[in-house]
Amino acid sequence: MAIEEVLSSKGRVRILRILSNIGELNISEIARRAGLNYTTTNEHLIALERSGLILHKKFGRIRIFRFNESNPRAEMVRKLVDLWEQTK
Amino acid sequence: MRQHFSVFKDESKLDINYVPSRLPHRDTQLNLLNQFFRSVIETPGKTAQRALITGNIGTGKTVLSQHFGLQVIKEARDKSVNLYYVHVNCRECKGSLFMILHQVISKFHPNFPRRGYSATEILQMLIQVLDAKNVFVILALDELDALIRNEGSDPLYNLSRIQEGRLNAPQRLSLICILRETGYLDSLDPSTRSTLQRNIIRLEEYSKSQLRDILNDRVDMAFRPSAVPSSVVDFVAELASSEGGDARYAIELLWRAGKHADILQLPAISPENVRTAAASVYPTVRKDEVLSLGVHEKLFLLGVARYFKQIGSAYVSVGAAEEAYAVVCEEYGRKRLRHTQLWKYMKDLAASGIIETKPSGTGQRGQTFMISLPKVPAEDLERELVKFLSVLRR
Repeated sequence: MAIEEVLSSKGRVRILRILSNIGELNISEIARRAGLNYTTTNEHLIALERSGLILHKKFGRIRIFRFNESNPRAEMVRKLVDLWEQTK
Repeated sequence: MRQHFSVFKDESKLDINYVPSRLPHRDTQLNLLNQFFRSVIETPGKTAQRALITGNIGTGKTVLSQHFGLQVIKEARDKSVNLYYVHVNCRECKGSLFMILHQVISKFHPNFPRRGYSATEILQMLIQVLDAKNVFVILALDELDALIRNEGSDPLYNLSRIQEGRLNAPQRLSLICILRETGYLDSLDPSTRSTLQRNIIRLEEYSKSQLRDILNDRVDMAFRPSAVPSSVVDFVAELASSEGGDARYAIELLWRAGKHADILQLPAISPENVRTAAASVYPTVRKDEVLSLGVHEKLFLLGVARYFKQIGSAYVSVGAAEEAYAVVCEEYGRKRLRHTQLWKYMKDLAASGIIETKPSGTGQRGQTFMISLPKVPAEDLERELVKFLSVLRR
């Protein structure tokens, strides 16, 4: 996935910001915090996961998403979001 | 400006949640716990252990378990075993297995969703979480009676059986059950009961001299030198020993006496301070017990207390208590709960001994329950509750 596809979507950037702040969250809570509906959130999460930036763990029916710490791109994006937040 | 003098050096050492580094007169029981859970550290995952700690109020059940928890975590860390000790109070979780397990999962995933699955599912999820993190847990279920009362024997059965279906998988969940009265065990199914009763630790009430040792330890940690004369320690130990060897009562009494001494700007606690404190601490209804109640339980209790204060009778009918509660709700700007929920709360309060209920019998039209406050003056209860509820007014 090209970088513009990740960073040009408000929804995806919001999700990345939330995961960067909170660490890990389930989909409903991400949707609530991002102000998006469930389906849209799910689509963004699938796209972000495909790009390797985030990953999920499944516990029963619950999916918990977080940044993919083993991916250097994910680390860079996370740092970018953190820096952006800190220097507001 | 006049300098404020306090007899306290560090009040937190008298706090109910403080776990001291030394547990006087509980060495044998601590060793026993260590023996029971030895295998959890030495051969992690091979076996899961269960133990039961019983004893009266203030005999050190909670502190024994927590102290053991701190010790065992340290030992596990030294041996590079990924072991956690999680202490959960079942009463604070309203006796719900779901809330208890959610609290455990929250240790590993702080934002784990609260809704959308059942208690059986969350138990499976807990094991999955433990597997994913490769951790072992000793779960201490404090005030287990609340769980048994609310959900019967199923939760304990499920907790102890969940791992039996996992052949060759690591055993990740060990249990410490903490229970005041062993009578509750009779309501469990025989197999759960027998597994729990295999490793049982009974805590006897503290004697006067044992209480004195405990108090002396706390005095050294919490008070300035010579702020608590030995005669005062003796007096407090004497009072607590007559209340059934209740160490928690003794420590709270000491704390309150210290507060009274501070108010009067005394350099040391006097026996008179202890007497004043004793009049304000009721061994059967304590600060932590009232504090752990929900808002509406507090409001209901406040309604009952005010009713008794105004009317001066020994019993109040459920209907009249609900009316008094409605008035209190209005005062605190809360929407009143309906009868069914209040009835549940009333049962909980009766089970914890704060109120007593009995069927109305003859002389009362229709059938209802009568509520009484057996152990604490209405006025004192009202004062305590108003203090706790003051946050609602802000």
